[in-house]
Amino acid sequence: MKQVIQKWGKSFGIYLVLMILFPFVMPDEYYRSVGIIIGLHAIVTIGLCLVMGLAGQISLGQAAFWGIGAYTSAVLTTKYGLPPLVGLVASAIVPGLFAFILGRAIAGLQGYYLAMATLAFGYIVQIGITEWEPVTGGASGMISIPRVPFFGDSELSMYYLIWAVVSCVLLFSLNLLNSRVGRAFRAIHKSEIAATSMGIDVRRFKLNAFVVSGMFAGISGGLYAHYMGILDPQPFGLHESIKFLTMVVVGGMTSIWGALIGTLLINFISEGLIAMSEFVPGLQGDIDTIVFGGILVLIIMFMPEGLVPRIRSLYEKSRAKKAKAREELQRMERKATT
Amino acid sequence: MTALLEVQSLSRDFGGVRAVNRVDFQVKQGEILALIGPNGAGKSTVLNMVSGVIPPSEGEIRYNNQGLAQVPGYEYAGLGITRTFQNLQTFDDMTVLENVMVGMHTKTKSSLFSCGLNLGRARKEEQKMREQAQMWLEHVGLASLAFAQAGSLPYGKLRLMEIARAMVAEPTLLLLDEPAAGLNHTETAEMSKMFQDIRANGTAILLVEHDMDMIMAIADRIVVLDQGTKIAEGTPREIQENPKVIAAYLGTEEEEGRG
Repeated sequence: MKQVIQKWGKSFGIYLVLMILFPFVMPDEYYRSVGIIIGLHAIVTIGLCLVMGLAGQISLGQAAFWGIGAYTSAVLTTKYGLPPLVGLVASAIVPGLFAFILGRAIAGLQGYYLAMATLAFGYIVQIGITEWEPVTGGASGMISIPRVPFFGDSELSMYYLIWAVVSCVLLFSLNLLNSRVGRAFRAIHKSEIAATSMGIDVRRFKLNAFVVSGMFAGISGGLYAHYMGILDPQPFGLHESIKFLTMVVVGGMTSIWGALIGTLLINFISEGLIAMSEFVPGLQGDIDTIVFGGILVLIIMFMPEGLVPRIRSLYEKSRAKKAKAREELQRMERKATT
Repeated sequence: MTALLEVQSLSRDFGGVRAVNRVDFQVKQGEILALIGPNGAGKSTVLNMVSGVIPPSEGEIRYNNQGLAQVPGYEYAGLGITRTFQNLQTFDDMTVLENVMVGMHTKTKSSLFSCGLNLGRARKEEQKMREQAQMWLEHVGLASLAFAQAGSLPYGKLRLMEIARAMVAEPTLLLLDEPAAGLNHTETAEMSKMFQDIRANGTAILLVEHDMDMIMAIADRIVVLDQGTKIAEGTPREIQENPKVIAAYLGTEEEEGRG
């Protein structure tokens, strides 16, 4: 742990402080629930960042894994009376299996074809959940899903439970990024030929990335089900998948921190829109879809690398400039003294 | 000296065009074999087949007496065959050090989960990778650029980085596709020296190159291709005097004689 803290030093420290302090800075129950939703989204987007940003594989079906996770845990706990913890473990494994099978089936697809296949998968899952009424409750959904006991079940304890999971997922992904496996992902993204000639089994590693992202989404889905207490198939469609994708792209696909920041940003915008819609009646309804679509287009046109990598490169440039200026100054001073 | 690599009657068709036609040659353990020929002679195609990037249309490639026909491309590095690329295939968004560390992939085994959980084994391997990669960067003279973004490096440095990336896997056969392209005279000389060191350490090299100074200086033997067919094989001296080779490079003999 100590080494990890050293390695990620500042960024992770700042993250921890902000994350822990947030519920006290914003003591309102409503903001805590927003914080919880952001955390749930972040778990999905960090996983999506691994498969899309690192390994370069587009997935338009992430909400489907989210939904499978949610329904797995909900059905196991409500219908079969299993404890929520068992449900949560299953909500990681079952979507992982789905991702594995899907990944095997569509291995070798690239670009648009992969996007289409994952899109179709997303539709199939949402329709499947809706139609499998005896188990999932169909369109009317499920109710009274038990909460996960974690120092009680207040909004505050749920907040810490979910952000503890976010922190684990974040650490796991940051570790992965700078390891043999993470580099293999990134190598595949840039050049499959070179990756192959370095001994990387491209298909296997793509599949791995896919499964891990499916598992992350599933865990988040399970937590979502237990937090909400009710479920219906509506949030697990294309709309949500696109929202996840937007979060990752806005923050910067190649950066894990980017996924987190993008998630925050999109959720802030979303909350802002809801707040504004009280005064501007025209903003009610599905306006957020239009706004997010617009943001996605603008980002891809003007800042395709995303927010975090852009800021990082600006920061490095300014630092280099400052160092240069300092050098220049020292040289001039030296000249003046001699 | 036994044959490390044996290429028998190797052919490759692209559509209706025969790019490589029944080529035979051997690379012996620890030698530098140069593959030369005019543009479009099929040199890179041969190299791509030997490295498993494209399958041969006909013929056989044997490495350490093992047929490579059924071996998938990603297993070549583990067997001891690594390569560089004519059109650089670098990982631009990684640092130079990370690029070279990717070359250690087959020398390490940590699974996704032990990497993600940063278990002891993953950490130990990471350390080993870092040291080895650093060492090879020093060998090729890029140690000071280890933490630079690969995408920001000039062409010549990237070529050196690719060599480090291929060598860090400790291959027994190194395949080089025009490593000296775009380098100046001094850089080429330095690179030649490096290849001789690599050979001295027991790694055989199959070299595709246009730079005759380099080839004549370091090649033990030369195979000449012209329009997909082998037209000559021998030592640098023999090749220099071979009339067929002169004709292939400079046009027909008569024209040469009269001119």
